[in-house]
Amino acid sequence: MSSTAPTVVTTTDDPAVAPPRGDGAPGRREGRVAVGLERRAVLRALAVAVVILVAGLFVPDLITSSYYMGVAADGVVLGIMAAGIGFLAHRSGLISLGHTAFYGGSAYGVAIFTTHWGWSPTTAAVVAVIGGTLLAVAIGSLVIRITGFGFLMLTLAFGQALYALSTLTSLRDVTGAFDGISVVFSGESQKVAGLTQAQLGAPDTFWPLAWVCLVLVVLGLWLVGRSRFGVTLEAIRENEERARFSGYNTYLPRLGAFAISGFCASIAGVLFALKASYVSPDVLGFQLAGDSLVATIVGGFTILIGPVVGALLYIYAQGRFGDTGNLELYMGLALIVVVIFLPGGVVGFVTDRVVRLRARLWRGRKGAGS
Amino acid sequence: MNFAQVLNGLALGALLMILSSGLALIYGLRGVMNFSHGALYMLGAYLAYEATSSGLSFWLALILAPLGLAVVGAMLELGFFRNLQQRSHIETGLVTFGIALVLNRLIIIVWGDDTHPVSAPKAIDGTTSVFGTAYPTYRLLIIGAAAVMAVALVLWLRNSRVGLHIRAASHDTETSGILGINVDRVSLIVVCLGAALAGLAGVLAAPYFSVSPGMGQSILITVLIVVVVGGIGSVGGAMIAALLLGLVQIMGNVWLPSVAVLVPYALLIAVLLWRPTGIAGKRV
Amino acid sequence: MSGPVLRAEGVTLRYGAVVAVDHVDIAVAPGVLHGVIGPNGAGKSSFMDALSGRRRLSGGTVHLDGEDITKRNVAWRRKNGMARSFQKTSVFNSMTVRTQLEMVARRNREDDLAGIVSAFGLEPYLDEPCISISYGLQRSVDIAMALIGKPHVVLLDEPGAGLSQEESVRMLDHIRGLCSERDVAAVLVEHDVDGVFRVCDEITVLSLGKVLATGKPAEVRANPAVIEAYLGSQA
Repeated sequence: MSSTAPTVVTTTDDPAVAPPRGDGAPGRREGRVAVGLERRAVLRALAVAVVILVAGLFVPDLITSSYYMGVAADGVVLGIMAAGIGFLAHRSGLISLGHTAFYGGSAYGVAIFTTHWGWSPTTAAVVAVIGGTLLAVAIGSLVIRITGFGFLMLTLAFGQALYALSTLTSLRDVTGAFDGISVVFSGESQKVAGLTQAQLGAPDTFWPLAWVCLVLVVLGLWLVGRSRFGVTLEAIRENEERARFSGYNTYLPRLGAFAISGFCASIAGVLFALKASYVSPDVLGFQLAGDSLVATIVGGFTILIGPVVGALLYIYAQGRFGDTGNLELYMGLALIVVVIFLPGGVVGFVTDRVVRLRARLWRGRKGAGS
Repeated sequence: MNFAQVLNGLALGALLMILSSGLALIYGLRGVMNFSHGALYMLGAYLAYEATSSGLSFWLALILAPLGLAVVGAMLELGFFRNLQQRSHIETGLVTFGIALVLNRLIIIVWGDDTHPVSAPKAIDGTTSVFGTAYPTYRLLIIGAAAVMAVALVLWLRNSRVGLHIRAASHDTETSGILGINVDRVSLIVVCLGAALAGLAGVLAAPYFSVSPGMGQSILITVLIVVVVGGIGSVGGAMIAALLLGLVQIMGNVWLPSVAVLVPYALLIAVLLWRPTGIAGKRV
Repeated sequence: MSGPVLRAEGVTLRYGAVVAVDHVDIAVAPGVLHGVIGPNGAGKSSFMDALSGRRRLSGGTVHLDGEDITKRNVAWRRKNGMARSFQKTSVFNSMTVRTQLEMVARRNREDDLAGIVSAFGLEPYLDEPCISISYGLQRSVDIAMALIGKPHVVLLDEPGAGLSQEESVRMLDHIRGLCSERDVAAVLVEHDVDGVFRVCDEITVLSLGKVLATGKPAEVRANPAVIEAYLGSQA
């Protein structure tokens, strides 16, 4: 996939890093920032994250329609999974059709832990996320050696195998087979993050939890992407042989990326279960696997928030076109158009235009001034 | 376990064989896994339904539908594959995935989303006695048709000049081009043929499975598994894997229904992890 | 450190029925530049692939600092003293020069990156993505990455490939200088025979996968078999 879309223009503020250039460009460069996480960039990102986090908490006040609030909430949850898929695709060049395994797996985990085993919902949620991530490590350890189409097929196989397991009538006692499981809160503390089950089920009270998770996930992915680990991943994606000949083993970093993306999907799955209070094999199905991948690609995964935007678009479209059944049609068309014409996805395309516009304006201003 | 189950397995395997041969051909030549193959199959089935419900003979549909699908294949090749040659295989694969979504939906828009049975031609709508078991004659047709197609395809690939070109171009596109083989023309033939085979499988499947809106999607995963297990790009390998999977799936359903549904996935995982080139693959 | 830093015996590499490298021996002492030349198809690049671990040997052993590394993977080799550069420039295109050099430096514990950067004249280009600098500079980055971290031996596969005559001469001089400075042994495969004779301490001539001659430049130059098979009118 094209990942040479220009990254957001950055400043290099460490004086030791930027040698003097003769063309007068005021320290702004396109291209990657130096290795490692510089203090100032990180603090700035944290500040931005806090601002966005707080601002986002007011969304329920702005969106009065409960329909659109529902779209936003569901979109954010799917967006967390999509961000994980996108992270893996961008940093490792691996396209996965199997993240439903972790999303659905942890969703089922929450349901089983609360309904069948009587755990408190918070415990169930935490354990389910851990379990989903461990599952990602387990599956990843096998599939990460293969790349490209083989990887796609392997993730698909694992994901659909799990789906098949969830529909088996012989496991009906555990999984409920096609009927699924309701999530029943029990135990002493029947709240998650201070929210009762009813509150979790309502979009505007569920929103803060989902939003906080989203911001933290995106921030976390950003930090990882900019860290040395992220640079290693990028090197491996770009020229695996050279990375190995430079002394880097490729297995562990890739596995790490896979685990991180599985972690994101697990969080999303838990949030879904808490909100919907009901889990069925659909959370593991091929439809969702395909849809979440399409959402990720249409949104564009060269930028972290691209998949989130894609997810929001998808949920919106699902509401809009779901009844007519033409959702798939538009999704297919969007996918074709984006893959052929917009390699950075919708978000990548937009940011690219903005960057170019800014550059042109800057040049214009400079020309007019001199 | 009775013989009828084995024959059912063969019938399913036969359909998979026809489908996967087409997919393997396209993959072998273009390096692209055509995710719209299931939709092409579905189109073939629905065309058969359209034909029979309009009063045309099933036999006519058996000839016309593959031809129609060949035209669709030509559109795929000329419209997409040819122009996407510079892109990565995954990207082109994603485009075919999008095409599948669009095509699936278009079919439902035209024909509605109910399941429709398709009756087999009167002549063979009965049962035949096979080794003492009464077995639907129509399914024997499926098995027979697949066998004929398999033999014909393999012979054609091995012995004809076009077949030679196809094998050469599948092996090494660049060198073949230098040697004077018109790779674009060969591509067109292969994609049309692959689509036609998918259509043929669809027509044959219609009386057996009926036409339903989910049929394209449900068979896609199975046929992908068959092609990968059989050896990516290897038509012969795909054929063997198809029969194997058909038999295993049906018979597994009889013996261990819980496990049977997992077998294709287990097989795929095992093959990709331990022998990435598949049973008979020329390359990964 | 006594004894050769790199010692390979009976190295054989087969591609199906074709024997690309046929029982080749080599021994290189620290700080020595050992050139490998031969006509096209002699097996030079295959020999590099065999020594560096890029391909598994069909036969023979490779010893680094006395240790048998025949079965070791390439990442291990790099971290433990054997680096290589590539005939076809292999760098990280979209990463800046600085980022990739630092990346290699981190992994291989290099403390004087600036020295290497200035030796190859890369300072002005540190913040450029590799894809936007000239081919010659990309080549320098490729080779610089091999020299980072004071490896005990570097395998340089046609460092001058794709460069102009002048650039090639300069490249070989850089390599010669850096290797002496850092006491790094080097195996150098090259087409530029004159260059090899100029900078190398020892030379091995390969032909059809076998060693035709090996020794000091003067000896090799005078060797009648070599003259007949290879140098021909160039001698």
